[in-house]
Amino acid sequence: MITHELIERIEGEAVLDFRTDREGRVEEANIRFLHFRGMEAILEGRNALDALVIAPRVCGICGHSHLIAAARMLENLYQNGGEALPITSKAYAIREITRLCEVMQNHIKWLYLVMLHESGKLLKLEPPSALKALYVSSKINQLCALFSGQWPHSSYALPGGVTCDPTHIEVMQALKILSEVEGFVREDILGCDVQAYEYTLSDGSLLGLSGDFGTLLRRFEELELLESGKSYGRYLALGDEIGVWEKGERSLADLNLVREDGSKSFDQGGNMYAKNALYGGEFYETGPLARAMLTNRTGIANLHNRYGDTALTRLSARVDEVVVILARVEELLRTLELSEASFIPPEPIQTLSAEGVGIVEAPRGSLIHRARIEKGKITAYSIITPTQWNLGNGTATLPGIAQKAMIGADSIAKASLIFRTFDVCSVCTTH
Amino acid sequence: MPSNPAKLKIIWLQGITCNGNTHSFLNDPSLGRLLESVEFIHHPLLACTLNLSELVEHLPASDILIIEGSYKADFERAYRRMDSVLPALAAKAEHIVSLGSCASFGGIFKEADPERISGIVFDREKALGPLAEMMPKVITLSGCPVHPKWLTFVIDMIRAGKAISVDEFRRPKELYAYLVHNGCLRNEYFEWKVDSDRFGTKEGCLFYAQGCQAPFTHGSCNKILWNEVSSKTRSGTPCFGCTEPSFPKRELFSTKTYMSIPAEVPLGVPKRSYLALTGAAKSFHIKRLEERLIDDNA
Repeated sequence: MITHELIERIEGEAVLDFRTDREGRVEEANIRFLHFRGMEAILEGRNALDALVIAPRVCGICGHSHLIAAARMLENLYQNGGEALPITSKAYAIREITRLCEVMQNHIKWLYLVMLHESGKLLKLEPPSALKALYVSSKINQLCALFSGQWPHSSYALPGGVTCDPTHIEVMQALKILSEVEGFVREDILGCDVQAYEYTLSDGSLLGLSGDFGTLLRRFEELELLESGKSYGRYLALGDEIGVWEKGERSLADLNLVREDGSKSFDQGGNMYAKNALYGGEFYETGPLARAMLTNRTGIANLHNRYGDTALTRLSARVDEVVVILARVEELLRTLELSEASFIPPEPIQTLSAEGVGIVEAPRGSLIHRARIEKGKITAYSIITPTQWNLGNGTATLPGIAQKAMIGADSIAKASLIFRTFDVCSVCTTH
Repeated sequence: MPSNPAKLKIIWLQGITCNGNTHSFLNDPSLGRLLESVEFIHHPLLACTLNLSELVEHLPASDILIIEGSYKADFERAYRRMDSVLPALAAKAEHIVSLGSCASFGGIFKEADPERISGIVFDREKALGPLAEMMPKVITLSGCPVHPKWLTFVIDMIRAGKAISVDEFRRPKELYAYLVHNGCLRNEYFEWKVDSDRFGTKEGCLFYAQGCQAPFTHGSCNKILWNEVSSKTRSGTPCFGCTEPSFPKRELFSTKTYMSIPAEVPLGVPKRSYLALTGAAKSFHIKRLEERLIDDNA
């Protein structure tokens, strides 16, 4: 039987076309995104710096990652054009702080607005109040805005650095906010302090966590989904951590092996807007789990050893990333060297004709911006988003990452929940 | 106000969008208070009574219809075309809020298909959108994105039954009579025509070289601060004029000049007067404004 399921609450919508057997078990799942805006075409013909204003508007929840990717792309373009453009460690640290803030608020919204909400629906529970989580997300965005001026849709990163020149006042405010966020993660998400959480992660007793993360895992257990969701178990990160993980082996990633496959898209006679992103011609998973495997984060790596790339591991990797980021942002704030320059002015962009690529680890994984410019004007722009890696469409015999994870699910409702463990974003996938 | 008024029923529908206004709205720290007084019939992320498929099937009446994203007749939500969904929902709404520059004027996404994409009432400056005839019940909140407090202000005013005074684009004057320039921390540099020689410093005005559009852009960005703490210009970023029908212009990080003054001068100021004033202001050299503001901060 074929069923078309409209998936909402994912930054837009998607349609899942399920083929199920007589018992309702999922045999095949096709992923379609219905909306397309043509961001790349909007960028072409403009001054290259305009990308710093246009590109963030790809996505309301991860636009800041698009900004940083565009800024890195422009810096790479200067370098390829003969002008090395190092940024100060201060500018780098500030960009990291704001980028990581965006990842954190994304993961918290995903946990409360998507996973707790949708898993509860399946178990016929009242929708939870996400207000406290949203308040904390707004505080994280406030921390970001202390440097970036606003969130969403800041354009404060430029080739050469950042536009802000913060003082200790901003740093102290940021640290205060961070401690508030840390309190929420401890008391609400985990239900214990970080040390105790790390212990439960290592001894495999995560289900006993009293916080909302524990609640989510217990719901997955009740739905018999904890050990579902297995895909290929091969991972890719191209942004800040760079590498490929496959069959227990880590190796360096080669950017030349990245390819976009549009053979199923409308412009080539297919029935969807999204294009698959492939590495060496194959599907690779990107995102929090990939980052955890590539940086060999002990807790998640152990979980992966024991359970593979199941829903349990995938959910844990995303929540665990929030814990890791908290410590990293605090370190960056405490070591921020305010006396350095925020910005080193490059030559005017009008002098430049070159190609560039900028990659960033966005909330959902590796985000790539590429462009070619002639005398400062964009002649070609190409964006590959994280969800193109994870939500690509293969064939029945060679499915994409999330497709494979859904095959074998008891019902389409359960398959749809597995789909959401990948943190779906419609607007990014098609852009 | 009645002591226990019924909750306002709100529908939040998205056209062609990035969801930026949705996420900006979620930044409102007093969201909980607001949600006590409103009920979302539909919202893309928050708990609501109808999902999208149910919404486009029932097309219910509402107190406020909020539209986020630009309009295109054949753009579909849950398999229904916008030209069948939007007018039907709009006809049954008491008030309509055009949220963000895409819904208001076409915005960034209009550039992908300028002939067919517009705002719901305005197509750039012209009232040629599909809801042009319903203009009297439309409030325009332009901006990319809109500040959450701008939206909650409008909802509170509607709830209180108060009339909202609006400009020619139906933007509330209390929010858009100000210019983004008002309240900018760099105002003194603007007054004495001291430009910023580079990004990444606290000093200098961004209007003369870096493309800042704040002196002719309507908005309360430096009155009602972003995320409660900052704004573009406060973080050293130029204003890109995102609340105006002309957004997005081109060459956003540089100022086009004419006779060595900005080609577009502060709103309402005659060019000749501005040129004269600039000459006078520049003839003074004010040492304090030419130095670093804080010495030990490079």
